[in-house]
Amino acid sequence: MSKAKAGLLQGTLDMLILKTLLLGPLHGYGIGQRIAQISGDELKIEEGSLYPGLYRLERRAWIESEWDVSENNQRAKFYKLTRAGRKQLIIEEQNWERLASATMKALRAN
Amino acid sequence: MSRVKATVNFIHAWQHQDKIADEVEAELRFHVQMRTHANIKEGMSPDEAQLAAQESFGDFDRVKVSCCEIKRGLPFDLEPMRMGLYIALACLAGGVSLWVVNIPHDNVLSILWQLGAIAVLMGAFLVGRRNNRPRHD
Repeated sequence: MSKAKAGLLQGTLDMLILKTLLLGPLHGYGIGQRIAQISGDELKIEEGSLYPGLYRLERRAWIESEWDVSENNQRAKFYKLTRAGRKQLIIEEQNWERLASATMKALRAN
Repeated sequence: MSRVKATVNFIHAWQHQDKIADEVEAELRFHVQMRTHANIKEGMSPDEAQLAAQESFGDFDRVKVSCCEIKRGLPFDLEPMRMGLYIALACLAGGVSLWVVNIPHDNVLSILWQLGAIAVLMGAFLVGRRNNRPRHD
């Protein structure tokens, strides 16, 4: 039986993008690859849906972008985390841990 | 500083809408190209690789439109500013009322001024109350 891949909860994609960019600047394709890699291919993201997420984060000034040359010498837009983005990531991680812990408590309750 | 840059980007997006659309398209095309190359490396034929890349990307045009709309959106949330706007409006209306009260009541124009100021004050109060009511949806 094949293992079902988990869909993403609302807001989780934003947190994953911020987390991925903590490791350094990346273009959109690279971000998608890295999310798949760090989640062990467990999280299913429609590749196109990554971009509205990136634009929303950029509009909130949590990430910023600039055009540069990619590893295969093509022009690509690279994103990097801002200071506000780092702070936001800490908040998102804390919220996520609280939510996960509360959900686990509820599931373990008789 | 990042917020300043986001505001500059917002103004730029409105001034150069065609350029922004081209940039978004270039970025999305880069993604599809990278995925196509990866698929070829995995053993697909170029045609198969491109088709699979387009499928895994999803609706290209919808994503492009969505990104352009986000880019043209305000770089800050209006919700926290709303209360400030009502307070400013109420202060303005209060100021006008005080000023109008000091005008002599000897002609129709001054009475109309006073009624207008009271109407603005009441309007600001009612709109503020309606918009700051807790939502249950």
